[in-house]
Amino acid sequence: MSDLLSRRSAAVALAVLAAVTIAAGLVFPDSWVGTVLSVLASPGTHTAMLRLAVPIALAAIGGIFAEKSGVINIGLEGLLIVSAFSAILVTFRLGAGESTALLSNHWWGFAVGVIVSTLFALLFAAVCIEFEADQIIAGLAVWLIALGLAPFASRIVFDSPNTGNVGTFDAVTVPVLSEVPVLGYLLFDTGPDVYVMLIAAVAGWYLLARTRFGRWVEASGENPKALDTAGVDVRKVRYAAVLLSGIFAGLGGAGFALGQLGTFAGGGETDIGGRGFIAIATYLFANYHPIGALAGSFLFAGLDAVQIRLQTYGYAVPTELIRTIPYVTVIAVLVLFGKTRLPEAAGEPYDPDED
Amino acid sequence: MSESEGDTVAGRSAGESDLAVHLDGITKRFSDVVANDDVDLRVERGSVHALLGENGAGKTTLMNVLYGLYEPDEGRVVVDGRERGFDRPRDAIDAGIGMIHQHFMLVDTMTVAENVALGNEPRKWFGLAVDRARIDREIRDLCDRYGFSVDPDARIGDVSVGVRQRVEIIKALYRGADVLILDEPTAVLTPQEVEDLYDVLAELTAQGKTIIFITHKLGEATHAADAITVLRDGESVGTVDPEGTSRAELAELMVGREVLLEAETEPVETGETVLSVADLSVIDDRDVPVVSGIDLDVRAGEVVGIAGVDGNGQAELVEAVAGLRTPDAGTVRFSGRDVTDWSRRKRIESGMAYVPEDRQERGLVMPFDLVENAVLGSQRGPAFAGDGRIDWAAVRDHAEDVVGTYDVRPATTDSEAADLSGGNQQKFVVGRELERDPDLLVATHPTRGVDVGSTEFVHDRLLELRREGVATLLVSSNLEEVRSLSDRLAVIYEGEFVDVVDPDAVTEEELGLLMAGEHPEGTTESETEPPVGGEGGDER
Repeated sequence: MSDLLSRRSAAVALAVLAAVTIAAGLVFPDSWVGTVLSVLASPGTHTAMLRLAVPIALAAIGGIFAEKSGVINIGLEGLLIVSAFSAILVTFRLGAGESTALLSNHWWGFAVGVIVSTLFALLFAAVCIEFEADQIIAGLAVWLIALGLAPFASRIVFDSPNTGNVGTFDAVTVPVLSEVPVLGYLLFDTGPDVYVMLIAAVAGWYLLARTRFGRWVEASGENPKALDTAGVDVRKVRYAAVLLSGIFAGLGGAGFALGQLGTFAGGGETDIGGRGFIAIATYLFANYHPIGALAGSFLFAGLDAVQIRLQTYGYAVPTELIRTIPYVTVIAVLVLFGKTRLPEAAGEPYDPDED
Repeated sequence: MSESEGDTVAGRSAGESDLAVHLDGITKRFSDVVANDDVDLRVERGSVHALLGENGAGKTTLMNVLYGLYEPDEGRVVVDGRERGFDRPRDAIDAGIGMIHQHFMLVDTMTVAENVALGNEPRKWFGLAVDRARIDREIRDLCDRYGFSVDPDARIGDVSVGVRQRVEIIKALYRGADVLILDEPTAVLTPQEVEDLYDVLAELTAQGKTIIFITHKLGEATHAADAITVLRDGESVGTVDPEGTSRAELAELMVGREVLLEAETEPVETGETVLSVADLSVIDDRDVPVVSGIDLDVRAGEVVGIAGVDGNGQAELVEAVAGLRTPDAGTVRFSGRDVTDWSRRKRIESGMAYVPEDRQERGLVMPFDLVENAVLGSQRGPAFAGDGRIDWAAVRDHAEDVVGTYDVRPATTDSEAADLSGGNQQKFVVGRELERDPDLLVATHPTRGVDVGSTEFVHDRLLELRREGVATLLVSSNLEEVRSLSDRLAVIYEGEFVDVVDPDAVTEEELGLLMAGEHPEGTTESETEPPVGGEGGDER
């Protein structure tokens, strides 16, 4: 009881703090609070938020499928890296050309990025499901391999860990609808990568909640033995779920590379910069709900967008610090609103002969 | 009963065409262990057929062969007069066989309807969506037909064990099962729920379904079955008609020798209070109160039993006493000292022995050999580690003693705990704890999974400790066990003691009602018995 009270008062305190901040910003527009407010209200920030959300949201939706089926895929970061890099590489090789509109070579790069990510996911699935390797270690291996492989391949092709520039997708403007205030510029005058993200979130939710495959994924992660005795092959369901995580992460990585980056810096933590791990925090935050994960990715990408804009005003908030916010938020949310419940059988290989 | 081919039910002989299931000469080996040895089973259509045997007799293996989970090494599976070989459960399901496993095969986070249809979901919109309305309709039809009442939209995690079992039955019927295999269906039910289950079985057979039910409880087999096939050591020892076969005869068939069905207890002078629990409350990991204000005294030389359906707080109560769970309120006193805040280590060293409910989780380290397992809990004590180093030679001697005395097989201390069968693991844990020379023994399901012969030995040993003045707190889901061993029997329901009864005077029906949280009319035991708070009159 007292627990609940303290949670409630913490939430109230946060709301009051937010209200006071907003009021202060409105009263003193020239203070730093005012600057933050104007950045928050700017359409440029919103557009940037949507584009920065692409890799996080799509990797998170992919991660939901894998983890719901019982395979924890912490290699999402690696899948984003390989798909982003190969999308840029293939586009570059085919020739970026003048046009970055529909039906340009960018789409070939996009497709190859998704395929490469899916192949990596297949490898990960085989190691975890067929050979019953530890999922955490296998996932780390996917990340570390991608971290080494992308700059290595880049050095061979471009003689540098950074690729050449291929430009980004043009925005696709939907007639009439794009004239709608706010929603118009946000949802109907934006890059194809954002459309892919929005469609994928709805499709992911539908697949999980409304189709039989979705029910099998849930059963496979909660009680695989029940699924097995019901006559459904648990391994096949898990393979399919992990491959889906590869496809979604591939859409995210390739979409981010061709929609936002235009080039790929393979040095250090690469241009992906931990977004795959933020995706994991995002879907835990959203309690495995694809639409919730989309919303969560807006929150975390929004913070990133604000941070980038603030730097142009001379407030140099270190990116590294901003990147910790998702994790801090997840911990705060878990403390304030209770526990994220992992699927019962997550992390365990399924052995039909075991009782 | 001879070991000949005499499979025919006394007085009736069934032709092949009347048989729903015929298992003919089934042999199944696991590496060098023969789990089923040339077993025959003939099940008549529309009957309830009990498969009776001790744990490890091969009952479940035989049914897993029928269900397609195991492939037999020899023998034929004939269903409805046709020889079938099932490679996967799917094939068995398609042939009209449904199995209700001992551990329910349900997904807690999904609804009744989703669980029932799992793997067989009807689809609409060109396969793009699950036709949930149709599932609900079919479940309602089945409920109407067999007189069940189940809400298709309830989440499995929210419904009772009895309802879950009903859902398992509906699930099998939904898949078109004509033959239902139930593996130890009564293990988790209250006596009242067991009665309801018998009614359901009668309704099912009346409508032409065939039931095979696996049990090791004699009473259930004689009560509910039309025919009983007894398995012993993987072999079929015969099929009998429950009418005209006594329980003693059945027990002898099961074990292969005469068995004392109840442990003999003689009165023992009780001493001072060893364990005293006062107003104890426990809140579990999900913030739900599971033990509420329990008072309990156990004196030297006394066995206090706790009866209740699993999940009513007995596990948490015992863990609080043993020091594995912090109580939310109340005190635990042991030999006159307040030990509520004592660590587990301190409790062990002061003479508290504990047989945990889950031997694999808490009793043993599975990849350790028996020598290493024997020292668990005593790794700091003077007996084996007086100078801070473990005296492995002494531990080995001790382990060999336990293995010898408690008939643990294989009789070598070099095997890993994981290589022992469940019953033998249990014997080893019980042996280790009982040989600690405790003042207080806290035991949960001490003979779970142990065969009848070894159960007798463990019971004798418990009574010997009682004579030596050890106080014992005994939790068991086996009603016969708690009734025959206990001096006083507390019945727990939803975290509270409903009543404390005299185990010799209470009837099974009364006990069943108490376990369901109801006070039967006219029970007088509670008035003649001292309340569980002991003579001090800690009445609640």
